[in-house]
Amino acid sequence: MRFVALLFVLPIALLLCGTRPSFAADPVQCAAPRELIEDEPQLPALAERFKQHKPITIVVIGGGSTAGTAPDNAYPHFLENALRQRHPDTAINVINRGVSGQTTEQMAARFTKDVYTHQPALVIWEAGTVDAVQSEDVNAFADALTTGIAAVRDHKAEIMLMDMQYNPSTVSVINFEPYLDALHQTAALEDAYMFQRFEIMKYWSEGSVFDFNDVPKEKRASLAREFYKCLGERLADAVEFAAR
Amino acid sequence: MAGPAPRLPRDLRLDFFRGLSLFFIFIDHIPENALAYFTLRSVAFNDAAEVFIFISGYTAALVYGQSLRENGVLFATAQIYRRVWQLYVAHIFIFVIFTAEVSYSVLLLQNPMYTEEMGVADFLQEPHLAIIRALTLAFQPTFLDILPLYIVLLATFPLVLILLERHRFLPLVLSAVVYGMTLRHGWAFHTRPSHDVWFFNPLAWQFLFVIGATAGHDQISGRPPFPTNRWIGRVAIVVAVCFGAINFSWTLHWIYDPIPPLFAKALWSYSLDKTNLAPLRLLSFLVVAVATVHFVRPDSAILHSRWARPVIMCGQQSLYIFCLGILLSVLGHFLLAEFSGGLLAQIAVNVVGIGAMIGMSALLEWFRAASRRPRPAHSSSIPVTPSE
Repeated sequence: MRFVALLFVLPIALLLCGTRPSFAADPVQCAAPRELIEDEPQLPALAERFKQHKPITIVVIGGGSTAGTAPDNAYPHFLENALRQRHPDTAINVINRGVSGQTTEQMAARFTKDVYTHQPALVIWEAGTVDAVQSEDVNAFADALTTGIAAVRDHKAEIMLMDMQYNPSTVSVINFEPYLDALHQTAALEDAYMFQRFEIMKYWSEGSVFDFNDVPKEKRASLAREFYKCLGERLADAVEFAAR
Repeated sequence: MAGPAPRLPRDLRLDFFRGLSLFFIFIDHIPENALAYFTLRSVAFNDAAEVFIFISGYTAALVYGQSLRENGVLFATAQIYRRVWQLYVAHIFIFVIFTAEVSYSVLLLQNPMYTEEMGVADFLQEPHLAIIRALTLAFQPTFLDILPLYIVLLATFPLVLILLERHRFLPLVLSAVVYGMTLRHGWAFHTRPSHDVWFFNPLAWQFLFVIGATAGHDQISGRPPFPTNRWIGRVAIVVAVCFGAINFSWTLHWIYDPIPPLFAKALWSYSLDKTNLAPLRLLSFLVVAVATVHFVRPDSAILHSRWARPVIMCGQQSLYIFCLGILLSVLGHFLLAEFSGGLLAQIAVNVVGIGAMIGMSALLEWFRAASRRPRPAHSSSIPVTPSE
């Protein structure tokens, strides 16, 4: 009996001490708890560039959700807007290299052409969706990430990782969990900043900030735009925090 | 006519731990389930899948090995294939449910943001091929991958039994060679026409099944199925405790970041390859198993307690309860995702799910007992055959 009681009490205790949201002082409706934005690894070289107002190039490489429906309707575009607004004295350029339907390995194969040619200070790598959808080998997925992170760093760029999109309907038919685990573990082991898009979107979904399922079809495109704007701004928060 | 050969008393540990592994598989299959922090995978490199496959190999050798000795190869093979057929039908049934779920989700998901995620429904573009691929086990969507493994392992099991009768270590040696070659050369089970590999690679997982079968065969041959050397037991306990501490630190790290994950850099990537039954996972399972049989004896009080009874019942009806568990986890996750994912809802889903599994097993047991009730006129000596 005591064992059974423990089984119920422990998770509640964990939840109470673990997940009380504390908000960044941002009044906009799509705020996110601070611990979902902030991560330990820092981006010192980028911080230096912000401080000295040197021009900054950021390449965002990823899949369909990075490409968006159009270049000016995707989160990298809104990331650029937000950073330019916050740093008017610095020339900031965000390049979107999202290509729909690629596995992480396929993305890593186009780093030379799509990433290094721009000599970015920061590479944001959005990965994992196609791997999870196609049930690719988790081991190979983690390997591709590790090699890719090392290659980016060899090219004197700093890196930030981004995980998958959350949607209540996709998570019941796509097994994201092993890929999320692999992504987060790899980030922790390689000391790479992890932008937790999955958790942030889940937080928004549960708080009904964005609810994509109960929206009439014709409104979905404009809702997607609003969502990308919010995501771009939260990503800007993360970049600023990492380069503080 | 002489009565049937005396049967050994059923080792309740098999049913208990298989029942427990069925609960764990159900719990682990619900993503983002708080209770999943309390299953085997939180304290070992392996998870319930290893337990399930090992015990399935053990009990298969126990039941069909005995049948082979009493009734001959042909009859035992027929029995095994009756089971394979049941598993196959269960797999197709779950496929149909999965298809319904995907179709429903895709309807909700008509949104430009989710073009890549919609790829999960690609198989619906060509339903005629999808159905054929499902029928040939070539299509193994998420969460539906352990039954095809079980089907292949059982379908080749008559051969294992025949070899076991030749020499008790013959299948084990052959199986170890196949496992080693698979790891070394990356052999995989491919599905046609797509390039996907099976999530559970039968060429690797057969090793664990055969290890279980060798132990089970030892039991029907009157040998002790588990290592009796005291030192093996002690070493296993020490290693299991170390593995437990390492994994528990990872789990704690997962829940609360500042707690350092021990040896994560050195060990994590070695525990990752579930597809090919990574050697670290196999080792972890073996030490946990040896340590467990050291502490839990066939006559241990815990196996005869009131609390163990429902678990044992589920373990004895493993095929049905396994399928039910998979269905319930799909359903439970669907409910959590569509309506409320709060902790109370999670607890409710877990409690209702496990309750349903226990209820179902009680119903099945009652039905089995009632169907076998001896008829007054004829023999009352129908042997109660334990199921595989």
